[in-house]
Amino acid sequence: MWLWFSKLGSPKWFYEISGRWLPWLVGTMSVFLLIGVTWALLFVPQDYQQGLINRVFYIHVPVATISLAFFPLMAVAGAITLIWRMKLADMVVKTAAPLGAWFTALALASGSIWGVDTWGTWWIWDGRLTSMLFQFFLLIGVISLRSALEDSDGAARACALLSIVGFINVIVIKYSVDWWNTLHQVGTNFSTDSGGANGPEIWVPLFLMTVAVYLFFVVSLVMYTRNEILQRERRAQWVADLVSES
Amino acid sequence: MKPHRKKRLGIILFIAVGLSLSIGLTLFALSQNIDLFYSPTQVAAGEVPSGQRFRIGGMVKDGSFLSAQDSLRVEFITTDYVNDVPIHYEGILPDLFREGQGIVAEGSIDTAGIFQATRVLARHDENYMSPEVKAALEAAGASTENHSSLVEK
Repeated sequence: MWLWFSKLGSPKWFYEISGRWLPWLVGTMSVFLLIGVTWALLFVPQDYQQGLINRVFYIHVPVATISLAFFPLMAVAGAITLIWRMKLADMVVKTAAPLGAWFTALALASGSIWGVDTWGTWWIWDGRLTSMLFQFFLLIGVISLRSALEDSDGAARACALLSIVGFINVIVIKYSVDWWNTLHQVGTNFSTDSGGANGPEIWVPLFLMTVAVYLFFVVSLVMYTRNEILQRERRAQWVADLVSES
Repeated sequence: MKPHRKKRLGIILFIAVGLSLSIGLTLFALSQNIDLFYSPTQVAAGEVPSGQRFRIGGMVKDGSFLSAQDSLRVEFITTDYVNDVPIHYEGILPDLFREGQGIVAEGSIDTAGIFQATRVLARHDENYMSPEVKAALEAAGASTENHSSLVEK
């Protein structure tokens, strides 16, 4: 267990193993994305109330779900950075932040487009929307903190601490619709009963899209992290060998 | 785990617990302000300061909707199935607006006890289904409306 853990901390080992995983990840993602998008945007039955606009659901829900995964990931990686000083963990904190900001922005934008048609407004300061906007600003904060602090050890520590705040906010986002009354709906409970509301015809394409977007997140994170490894290890012998090989 | 790492882990846990507590207490103290709207029952109980603009949320009561022939003036009753508040509004309603639907209205209560709205938004519940499923459920006599999530918690 500890051997595996310290191995994972080695940028060189991660670079090699992730290079082997990457084609498989991209392939699986493409399959899920192709089936998911086709199914969700062309074949899902129209909603009895919302009609066609309801298909935003299949973009908004996966993107919003995954944007809630960033701060937990960054908080855990940040804690590993603080405790074990593992270089790779800090690289993940650094590369996840801009990706998370994009995902959060996409969730907010797709939600707005959906909202203007169903609710009748682009924006409202309810608990869910406000806490999500707060997450966006926190991620922008992590990104600017990183570039503002030249001392990279200090930046790593500051970003790790801010990630813990972000993690707490994720809990607030998740339960905002239950704790307070909001314009945003409460979470949907899906059912296996095909004759009722929220049946398989609704959630199976949603599940495919969620897996696809999750894989997209993993692929992007791995690619950005590989890039970061090369930049930080540019003086190492194995990177020099890699460059001379190609 | 080595002692200095254990110490760092302790510090991180301490910070995390401290932050959670302070954020949690702040949100708890502000919970009245974070709620988006008041329910008709809260209005009836006089929880809303008089003469102030606020938001009210509830369902549009079945059979209560009236619209003027020559203008965009509408009136309807909003309800949480305990208390009712009449609403007057002039303007465009969202597509999802209909009787039995959840709404949030912004405005204030006049001296006659009527809520004069300046904006009306629609809420939708968490249930999605095709028109066929909806029709089948209605034919079977099952209640397809799940209002519990739309009225006040």
